[in-house]
Amino acid sequence: MSTLALGVALFLLANLVVALVAAARGPTPADRMLTALLFGSTGTAVMVLLAASGGVAPLIDVALVLALLAAIGGIAFAKRAWHAEGNDHD
Amino acid sequence: MSFAFDLLLALALLWSGWRTLTTPRLDQAIVLFIAFGLLMALGWARLSAPDIGLAEAAIGAGLTGALLLDAYGALRQRTEQP
Amino acid sequence: MIEWLSAGLLIVGAFFFFAGTVGLLRFPDVYSRLHALAKADNLGLGCVLLALAIQADSLAAALKLLLIWPLVLAASAGIGFAIARRARALGIQPWQKEDAR
Repeated sequence: MSTLALGVALFLLANLVVALVAAARGPTPADRMLTALLFGSTGTAVMVLLAASGGVAPLIDVALVLALLAAIGGIAFAKRAWHAEGNDHD
Repeated sequence: MSFAFDLLLALALLWSGWRTLTTPRLDQAIVLFIAFGLLMALGWARLSAPDIGLAEAAIGAGLTGALLLDAYGALRQRTEQP
Repeated sequence: MIEWLSAGLLIVGAFFFFAGTVGLLRFPDVYSRLHALAKADNLGLGCVLLALAIQADSLAAALKLLLIWPLVLAASAGIGFAIARRARALGIQPWQKEDAR
């Protein structure tokens, strides 16, 4: 069972890396920020799977904190950082 | 499987750290920094140090990322209104 | 029985995460990418959490795992609303099929 959990964690990490490479050359600022949010939810899943496969129960707390703070980052982006597209559109 | 996970995590950490430092655009650097902090938290979790992972996730990826985004927005506003 | 159910839920969750990532990379504009991200990923996370919760050691551990899901759902609903409203206030037009031709 822990082998399957680690396999799924590896698959999700591969997903994250692909999304990260795409974010590094993404078209608009909003899409890059959406990648950061994808990191929030997928990172939570990877953390929970690591907790299950390694038997390290406190990692579930880390997953909770990750889920909470990804939300803060997203709200900060939408409310404060995202002004008109300006010179860097497209 | 475990070795593949560690190798991929290490490569992603190195690559995202390098891109964070060398990218010329601020917003992209901030997003890459948040991603780097998250991967670093996964790295600490993999090293079975959940307390350091907790600190990294809370401070590195969460609060510093939000503060940097806020600072970037203030900077943009200031430069747009001379 | 529980083992098989848990394994199946893990694989279904991995599939939904994969769908969310593909949607994020392939969809044409901000709104549809937000749609892929906010729904598919949270469904995948729910499947993974349920798979791990039904084979947890104690009831407290299972409830703690399942507590993550409503938190993430509320957070992603808030983020999705904030980003979509901001995009609309900035005047980003939704993608139309005529634009692609």
